[in-house]
Amino acid sequence: MRRSESFEKEVGIVARVKLDITRRAFLKGGLATGGLAVMAPTASIGAVNGMLNAQDPWYREGAIETTYNVCDVCPWHCGIVVQTVNGVVRKIDGNPKDPKSRGMLCARGQGGVSFMYDPDRLQSPMIRTGERGSGQFREVTWEEALDYTAAALLDIKDKYGEESLAVFAHTSGDHWFADHFAQAWGTPNAAKPSSSLCLSPRDEAATLTYGSAVGGHEPVDWDGIQAMTLIGSHIGEDARNTVMQDFANAHARGAKVIVVDPRFSSVAAKADYWLPIKPGTDTALMLAWMNVLIAEDLYDKAYVAEWAEGFDDLAAHVAEFTPDWAAGITDLPAAQIRETAQVMGANLPRAAVIPGRHTVWYGNDSQRMRATYLVNTLLGAYGREGGMYFNKSAYLETYPHPPYTVAGSSGGCSAEPGEETAELPLGPTGKARADGVRESFMRGPTAMQELIDPMISGDPYPIKGLIAYGVNMLNSIPNPQKTIEALKALEFVVAIDVLPQEHIAWADVVLPEATYLERYEDLLTVSHRTPYIALREPAVDPLYDTKPGWWISRELGTRVGLDAFYKWENIEEYIDKRLISVGSNIEGLREEGGIITQNGKPYLEDFDGSSPFGTGSGKIQLYSQDLAEAGHEAMPVYEPVDEPPTGFFRLLYGRSPVHTFAKTQNTPVLHDIDPENEIWVNADAAEQLGVADGDYVMLENQDGARSGPVKVKATERIRRDAVYMVHGFGQNAPGLTNANGKGASDTKLQTRYKLDPISGGAGMRVNFVRLDKEGV
Amino acid sequence: MSQYAFLLDLGRCIGCQACVASCKVGNELGIGQQYIELIEKTHGEFPNLTGGWDNHRCYHCGDAACIAVCPTGSLFKEDGLTRLDRSTCSGCSYCTEACPYDIPVMWEGKSSKCDGCADTVKAGGSPWCVGTCPSMALEYGPREEIRAEAHRRADALRNRYPNAQVYGETQAGGLGMLVVMPDDPELLDIPIDPKTPFMAQAWQKIVQPASVGITIGAAVVAGAAAVVARRRHEEELDELEAAGVISGHGDEKEQEEDE
Repeated sequence: MRRSESFEKEVGIVARVKLDITRRAFLKGGLATGGLAVMAPTASIGAVNGMLNAQDPWYREGAIETTYNVCDVCPWHCGIVVQTVNGVVRKIDGNPKDPKSRGMLCARGQGGVSFMYDPDRLQSPMIRTGERGSGQFREVTWEEALDYTAAALLDIKDKYGEESLAVFAHTSGDHWFADHFAQAWGTPNAAKPSSSLCLSPRDEAATLTYGSAVGGHEPVDWDGIQAMTLIGSHIGEDARNTVMQDFANAHARGAKVIVVDPRFSSVAAKADYWLPIKPGTDTALMLAWMNVLIAEDLYDKAYVAEWAEGFDDLAAHVAEFTPDWAAGITDLPAAQIRETAQVMGANLPRAAVIPGRHTVWYGNDSQRMRATYLVNTLLGAYGREGGMYFNKSAYLETYPHPPYTVAGSSGGCSAEPGEETAELPLGPTGKARADGVRESFMRGPTAMQELIDPMISGDPYPIKGLIAYGVNMLNSIPNPQKTIEALKALEFVVAIDVLPQEHIAWADVVLPEATYLERYEDLLTVSHRTPYIALREPAVDPLYDTKPGWWISRELGTRVGLDAFYKWENIEEYIDKRLISVGSNIEGLREEGGIITQNGKPYLEDFDGSSPFGTGSGKIQLYSQDLAEAGHEAMPVYEPVDEPPTGFFRLLYGRSPVHTFAKTQNTPVLHDIDPENEIWVNADAAEQLGVADGDYVMLENQDGARSGPVKVKATERIRRDAVYMVHGFGQNAPGLTNANGKGASDTKLQTRYKLDPISGGAGMRVNFVRLDKEGV
Repeated sequence: MSQYAFLLDLGRCIGCQACVASCKVGNELGIGQQYIELIEKTHGEFPNLTGGWDNHRCYHCGDAACIAVCPTGSLFKEDGLTRLDRSTCSGCSYCTEACPYDIPVMWEGKSSKCDGCADTVKAGGSPWCVGTCPSMALEYGPREEIRAEAHRRADALRNRYPNAQVYGETQAGGLGMLVVMPDDPELLDIPIDPKTPFMAQAWQKIVQPASVGITIGAAVVAGAAAVVARRRHEEELDELEAAGVISGHGDEKEQEEDE
């Protein structure tokens, strides 16, 4: 009994919910080819589910229609070409014109067809009939669902003010809710998981150090780099298409690869140097690298003199942090620490520590990222070929609308880097963000996890309503047990999604969205070496009774008195109008192959002597006056993190190249390739515990939270003090036929997180688990 | 007839499984059906480790044992690649026994393996795995060009991996998949000298004529008959071994049981 039943029993802390609605097709019975015939073109379902002995391959069944799109299976957003035959999407490939995909595509992107034809999709608007969390709904018309939602939102506004509505949004339509709707409506409490649950430390530290956020596309000049250092970055498991291409080329060219990771990841197996560091000690390693670079005169003196300030402070600061000092902390040989610093120094400025993406680890993450940038500055990497280039935003006018009611602060990986004002923006009733910014943390986008408490406590003011768009709340925000308390305390919750994700059962209204293959989208503008604009056009009409996010945003907006913000006739007119500013239109963009590319200014020489660094002085801040004034360390220091208690391992988590977050585990084709996660345990440690490779165990964390059964991978590939699993499994969502109860959830074992006092990021690698053979 | 081949560069492959997914979607494979499987390999003890990804997929042998044993001609050579016509497969499963690389599997009662995207290539495309590979570890083209490219890549790879080599020029009559390997094939559990579990030639001359009738029956009666044929096949092998025509069949069975 490995699956849902025992899972239900063991994960008692997370309430079990059952989606129970009347429509047959929603239930699992419709899985086989026949059951869906009424809902979707029969051939398509047969095809994606694998009908045997098809007489002809799909591309001979009829004319192939090609549409341009932007993949939405992960937030990397590759340009894609979608092939449709007889009204059925059959294949997705990379768009050769797209600077990210360059004609290639990862496993997840390939799975997009299957994601769209997933029979478990939400199919109709629904209004809750049972208790919240019971998952009992009745199907309603869009008219009824939207009227009901609008009335509830206006009621919250009347009773508590606009600021009492929170908006959580993820995936490529997030702009319509967390930015456009939230700012028009007037709430500063709009948040994206890609900020405080992912990128905030990376981008706030970058802004403090060299004056601009790293941005969506890490600006590494992979074509010229000669020595790359990856710290906790798992290229190949983290399957960002472009990065895998760039890495493969750089590696084949002979660029040196240094990988710092407690685990022998796919990319560690490609490395020239693998540093199996003790988790949580990365800053000590980087301080020692700086010590070597300076002590051995291996830094770029001319660059540092011209572009950085605070070098003398830094040199004095790191003088005591020798490789011998760091060896005792990091569990790495001093000689290896010295040698890797020398490799970087010998290759400068064609050398860089890659900033990575998911950087919320231990709560000291902004300081760790600062250390990364300081190493890169000593290497002379910023603005240099072979190092890091400067991204430039694509130029494109917005569709005219009245001034927003409140300035945006949701951030996110697709957002343009904005300037943070000293004064926090206030909503219409005079309230600023409720996430504690300026008090519990210094700066950065709205921290999603910090809005959970105000939903429960009403402090500093009540948060009473929630719009949850495409955000898998209970499988992303740490301590989901508490998130459920918040969902119970809210007066109104509307969930907009493609799939019946775990949190859907807690919504009052469920609005089913059309996937990216079935809708137009606002133009994607990408900040890049060559900035570009990409088109998303529908390959087919929406399946079932689903609607695009922009349509839902507009329908809600017009019902709550925000029609001035949605003055466009239709989405095509909206897109065409924006494209006038670059002398094109939808048809023109299509003729261009779905992509319009603009010129960038990637390197220092492109700035004609002026500074590209957006700090006040135009210099890179080795010593940060801003941090000092806010009461933080002006230069990174090593602070020990809590050790695992006896018998416990530190819980590390990462990615499968076949899955995105907790989004694709149910997608039939992707589930078929990678159906469940495993818990990696050092082989010796497993033997001592009497656990064999392939056994199933339960995991219990330091607070008694338990996972469902998960398969053990006993391996030499990980240190003895940590265990590792892929994120996104162990979902407790009965409506997800394939994913429900499969594997273990790292999120449900993260009952704790440590707040990064600088960026508001939620450090999640502060939880410990033990293996339990009982109850499997 | 031109000879075509795949290039698989394991110096580049990073195990992302894009090939697996593109193959499944492009070929519309069923749930549970896969032509490519990536298997993680690790050697050494923490922290002195090496590792990589075995791409478990058809090597398109020049002397293909699966073709030799196929009683219905469903497996055949074309353009240097080993094709499979599932519509005529009887489901006898002999190919799964014969393959030195353990590639074909039975899926829904019939043999299932990579056929080099025969139809897609004829329609003007490239094999689905090749077109999508983000590491550019896969190429497809005339075998001589692929062979030259494989050597260029292996030569370059030797700067980092002194033992880098091209695998597949001689094995099993020359493979239709030339593999650039950073190190010895054994490190990926790939045999240097692949051996068919029994003598495919003897099989073709002696056993096949005797079993064709049964397998044709199997095609008609499907499931149950296939089991009979399979049993008969095992008996025949045992008989052949007893007669000294082939060797190692019993050993192989024991090995399977051990696993």
